[in-house]
Amino acid sequence: MSKGKSTPIGRLINHLEAIETGIKYLFIPRMTVMYPEEVMELPEGYRGMIKYNKEICISCGLCAQICPADAMKMYLEETSLAKGGEKQAKPKRYPGINYTRCIFCGFCVDICPTGAIEHVSIHDVAFDSFEAQIFKPKDFETGPPKVRYKKPPRRVKPRMDPKRGITYEPAD
Amino acid sequence: MSEERTMELLIGPQHPSSGHMRLYAEVDGDIVVRLKPNIGYVHRTVEKLAETKKYIQIIPLVERPSLADAANHNLGYVLALEKLLGIEAPPRAQYLRTILAEMNRIHSHFYGLGIHGIMLGSSTIFMWGFADREIMIEMAQRLTGARLTYSYIIPGGVRRDLPQGFEEEMEKALRYIERRLKDYGKLFLRNPVTRARLEGVGVLRKEDAIKLGIVGPNLRASGVPYDVRKVQPYCAYPELEFDVAVREEGDSMARVLVRVEEIRQSMRIIRQALKQIPDGPILSENYLKMIPPKWKEFMETKGRVKFPAIMANLRPPKGEAISRVEAARGELVYYIISDGTTSPYRFRMVTPSFRNVVLFEHLIRECRVADIPAIYGSMDYFPPEADR
Amino acid sequence: MMNLMSLFRWILDLLFSPWLFVPLIFPGLVTVFLVILFIIWFERKLAAKVQLRYGPLYVLKQLGGAIQLVADLLRYLFAEPIIPAETDKLAFVLGPILLFGASCFPTVAIPVSSSFYAIRSDISLLVALGLLAFGPAITLIIGWASNNKFSLIGGLREGYITMAYEIPLFISALSMAALYGTMDLIEMVESQVGWKWGLLLNPLAAITFLILALMSTSRFPFEIVEAESEIVMGPFTEYSGILYGLTMGASYVKFYVLCLLFSIMFLGGWKPVPSFLSWDPIGPALVLLLKSLILMVLGVFMRAVYPRYRIDQALKIGWHMILPLSIGSVFLSLGLILLGVVP
Repeated sequence: MSKGKSTPIGRLINHLEAIETGIKYLFIPRMTVMYPEEVMELPEGYRGMIKYNKEICISCGLCAQICPADAMKMYLEETSLAKGGEKQAKPKRYPGINYTRCIFCGFCVDICPTGAIEHVSIHDVAFDSFEAQIFKPKDFETGPPKVRYKKPPRRVKPRMDPKRGITYEPAD
Repeated sequence: MSEERTMELLIGPQHPSSGHMRLYAEVDGDIVVRLKPNIGYVHRTVEKLAETKKYIQIIPLVERPSLADAANHNLGYVLALEKLLGIEAPPRAQYLRTILAEMNRIHSHFYGLGIHGIMLGSSTIFMWGFADREIMIEMAQRLTGARLTYSYIIPGGVRRDLPQGFEEEMEKALRYIERRLKDYGKLFLRNPVTRARLEGVGVLRKEDAIKLGIVGPNLRASGVPYDVRKVQPYCAYPELEFDVAVREEGDSMARVLVRVEEIRQSMRIIRQALKQIPDGPILSENYLKMIPPKWKEFMETKGRVKFPAIMANLRPPKGEAISRVEAARGELVYYIISDGTTSPYRFRMVTPSFRNVVLFEHLIRECRVADIPAIYGSMDYFPPEADR
Repeated sequence: MMNLMSLFRWILDLLFSPWLFVPLIFPGLVTVFLVILFIIWFERKLAAKVQLRYGPLYVLKQLGGAIQLVADLLRYLFAEPIIPAETDKLAFVLGPILLFGASCFPTVAIPVSSSFYAIRSDISLLVALGLLAFGPAITLIIGWASNNKFSLIGGLREGYITMAYEIPLFISALSMAALYGTMDLIEMVESQVGWKWGLLLNPLAAITFLILALMSTSRFPFEIVEAESEIVMGPFTEYSGILYGLTMGASYVKFYVLCLLFSIMFLGGWKPVPSFLSWDPIGPALVLLLKSLILMVLGVFMRAVYPRYRIDQALKIGWHMILPLSIGSVFLSLGLILLGVVP
């Protein structure tokens, strides 16, 4: 990057260049997103909240072992006594998540050997109380809560542009 | 009776431009006689916490101290861990790691430039710096899935492959950043007011820089061409061509110009890496063969990696390992001693900002009160990174 | 009914009499408030547009957040003005009030049109400029009374920078007085006939006056007294509530007065009055206000472009660069008089 000039005329030219750049930017469109009236479409593979499928979970506990923030915990499921003289099944453990601790790193998703845990693109949810953020396996099954907006927002998709940086086009 | 000429000014943590630290300044009129930094306000015991966590869980932990520069810290730690485990990542993973590290360098330098601008009074550069950072963060979000805390590099390789259309979008983004750097030059770097504030202020001589052990762009602005990527190359750097940005003057303006030049060189590296990237797997063979075969098709079509179950309980053999990387603010050193269990015995990280703290006392002497933010911003000191 | 109409007419006559209209409505208190409400909002919007964002938007969304300052003023009115225990309480509370008043004071000497003025004197230019010089003294008192080291440094900086701009400001203004042959503001406007505006006659004085106006009221790049990243708001660090609102507005009021003086001396004042607006004093008042507002917008735009100078660099500019130019403008005026350009 060339250095500025140090003669008085050179300095005057640098002053005028700076003011001219300021004036030029008065005519360039803005680059901000008016959240929550406009909501950005997140790319595929975004690491958001966690969705859990209890049918294919095999209770290996790897997700709780690898979680760096101690957000996943295995809870003991109440066993149901089998009818008749069947042997009582061994109590199984199922995971629950504590969203006050989750750092959305995605290690649990990547290590689950059956694919029972997946990311969804939801990240901007508000809860009513502190305890509502600790999901036991029963709540974990139903998935993360839906995002509620006052008015349905416009959905935009970010796209790179060599002249303007990021432009936001309406997503269809 | 002795006459007190100096006044003690506490530029403490509650000050618009002091960061998370306190500066004791002794001021005589408008001249600063002495300045002592008081760090440690954000010490979060990262090194001790690492002794209680497993090796894979330390990856998000080391990213958190220096949030503006997470990928380079992640990379340094994983390189040390791979030396302990005795595995190597495949070439495609090395290139992907390099691309993410250089993207991180670009947006960390924009962060430093923005903070320096607001310390000097130019709120335009603050907003522009953070707006241009958004470009690189958006591209990193497409690659890794998160905006700032990537946790992308794991021992053995990386977690995801390049998504569709990444190369074209990246080319557009880099062309935009090139256009913007010209406007930065006209509005800020060649502005006579900025030049009057920064030129000749806080001069660091070459001998002092070497004697005090300064690292990073602060060292390169004083005429010492030392860059870990050239001295001891790692990842894909041996095969990529780039220059080391060096300037001779050693004042604050030189430090800012070195960082802007490094942004340009990083863009050059990303372009070359995207062109030369080889095909192949993104996780090392040792781990690929531990993954059940039913996931192979998923991994190939989606471009993601499933961790083998051993990742949750890595047990490297006994030994110790050191790794050095060039983070955005300088040279970063990791030293791990392992005793065969799932947690390290001793974990030591030497961050570049910690090695640059001595510049506060050395440079801000016999200058004016208004030079304190000018020199502070030009050093690109990041208090959480220094305090860990 | 007749009584009500005549009462109404009497109030209207009273309001439009010059000695009440000028200090109270234009260019007095009411216009000062309206100008502050407009210019601070516009400064934030201009700086935001250069920085690729919106600025204040949500207060009245259809107008782009135009009444944001009304909301801010209401907030300041209802916030608690905290008076710390170890300050000099009388000086602490009276300081901002006197500062704002002292900045509004010179409007009493500024005429609105040839026949509509509050006071007429041979030296009304000196009266206006002299009344402006009260401000820095009150800022020094505020800086000392706040019992805070940062306020002290800020107050002293205000004293220093007065040294830099006061003398060249007077010299530039007096060079224009020499050119027109009078220090009476009304006769200055009368002398600017046709195209012979002061700006074209003596551009050197115009440029120096404008730069000195920026320097004296903390506009960028000379925002040294309230340098936020060094001394946390300077002399006004300890203020909250309505006292802070007053200090924030005081520097804008001073800039407004200096822009009014600039329009009268260099831009032809209230001439040319368009024929459909020649209702005295509304027509000339609107022309004068428009010219001053355009100047204020120019001065306020510098926030988006420049960082700030150091105090010793500003002093150096004042003494090494602006003072010789001011003295040069005096010689330019004398040369123009000798050439007979202005009778």
